[in-house]
Amino acid sequence: MTMRFLRLCLAAAFLSLPLAAWSQDQAFTNRATELKERADAASATLVPLPENTAVKVLARAGAWTRVEAAGRPGFVRVFHLRFPATVEAAGSGSSNPFAAFGSLIGGSKSDAHANLATTGVRGLSKEDVKNANPDAEALKRMQSYRADKPAAERFAREGKLAAVKVADPDAGSTKGSAR
Amino acid sequence: MRRLAAVAACALLGTPAWAQLDIGRLIDYGRKAVDAGSKLQEANKDFTQDQEIQLGEGITAGLLGAAPLSTDANLQRYVNRVGRWVALHSDRPDLPWTFGVIETRTVNAFAMPGGTILVSKGLVDRLGSESELAGALAHEIAHVVKRHQLAAIQSSLNSDVLSSIGKDVASEAINRRGGDAFGLKSQLAGVGIDALKNGVFLRPLDRSMEYEADRMGVIIATRAGYDPYGLPGVLELLGTVHGDGSGISIMETHPAPSDRLAELEKVMPAVDGYANQPRLEGRFLQVVGRAK
Repeated sequence: MTMRFLRLCLAAAFLSLPLAAWSQDQAFTNRATELKERADAASATLVPLPENTAVKVLARAGAWTRVEAAGRPGFVRVFHLRFPATVEAAGSGSSNPFAAFGSLIGGSKSDAHANLATTGVRGLSKEDVKNANPDAEALKRMQSYRADKPAAERFAREGKLAAVKVADPDAGSTKGSAR
Repeated sequence: MRRLAAVAACALLGTPAWAQLDIGRLIDYGRKAVDAGSKLQEANKDFTQDQEIQLGEGITAGLLGAAPLSTDANLQRYVNRVGRWVALHSDRPDLPWTFGVIETRTVNAFAMPGGTILVSKGLVDRLGSESELAGALAHEIAHVVKRHQLAAIQSSLNSDVLSSIGKDVASEAINRRGGDAFGLKSQLAGVGIDALKNGVFLRPLDRSMEYEADRMGVIIATRAGYDPYGLPGVLELLGTVHGDGSGISIMETHPAPSDRLAELEKVMPAVDGYANQPRLEGRFLQVVGRAK
């Protein structure tokens, strides 16, 4: 009985997943800024960009975004761009089963691209969802991939990652000294 | 007790929001069957770390039942190494941090209490570097470090009716299995599964929690030696991702990426000096099979 209920409740929960996503490449300047020749504030300014200039996003590059603006390629600071939309909000926010997980994606139902037409299920199918049961075996398999501290440290050395001290502006902590 | 469990489950069935629960009926049965006062007292106690871990395991098992774990062992090990290295620079380095990639094209990542984090294959496929992966994981790690999900669960359980329902239904399920909740052998795992099915996660995390996890995520990833712009890059990516409306969105209750970037910009001066730290695009692209 409980298993049946659980299956149905999980099904209801997972019907709420955002099932697909695709990339879009437009952004707008959120302030007056400059199109730079390189990803470097000291590089030449190719053209000034007024606030709300539409740009085509070509690639992410750390603190900079490679864009095409005013018909030419260049770089704009990532924080000088705003992005038009995220995944649409098709239903009530109260139906979101994962809100409290601290999910990565944010959004707003006021987004310009809200209420896009359904074009098909590209992620989990409804059948997948309907048949879902807690999978303890998958959990155990997942736990078998855990990395212990020595393995993580070895991995960091291989990547030439060096820990640094950085104060947490919220707490004043400087955890992260050489490990 | 069986009757209470059945009533609770029936009430929950087909009710997408707490507002639609037949609360009066549940209270009636609940009062007869349980000592609500003692249950409330139990719910108000802080979870121990072990309980937090067990709770997270139950929730994760539930999620893995719907979204299968990727069979790419190399990718799973890689994500665990990145995640563990980042988590070592958090304020809870010794949790049993566990990371998993789930097979769905959905673009998302989730954190469970106790240090279990799931990222979707859809997200991994769109990232461009290890520093972006580290940034995404660091955001989730920050939620665990700050116990944001636990606060949400406790908030939901801090109602005598809800705590009675959740724990009694879990106990019922566990009792029938000789204390073995879906093979997880812990009562709290059962509560986690119940929390999932009962819709405890219907409540969004506070917007301030998301901003806090963003800020802390950038700091943690930077401490671990990564380019601090990994997480901003992920938010930029999310800002250019669109859904097709085939599901009810997770988006509505969360701040938009542009708003999060605007908040995050305030913390970046503290880490701008580390902007030349590695992004490790090559190692990332090799593992995910996109190396040129």
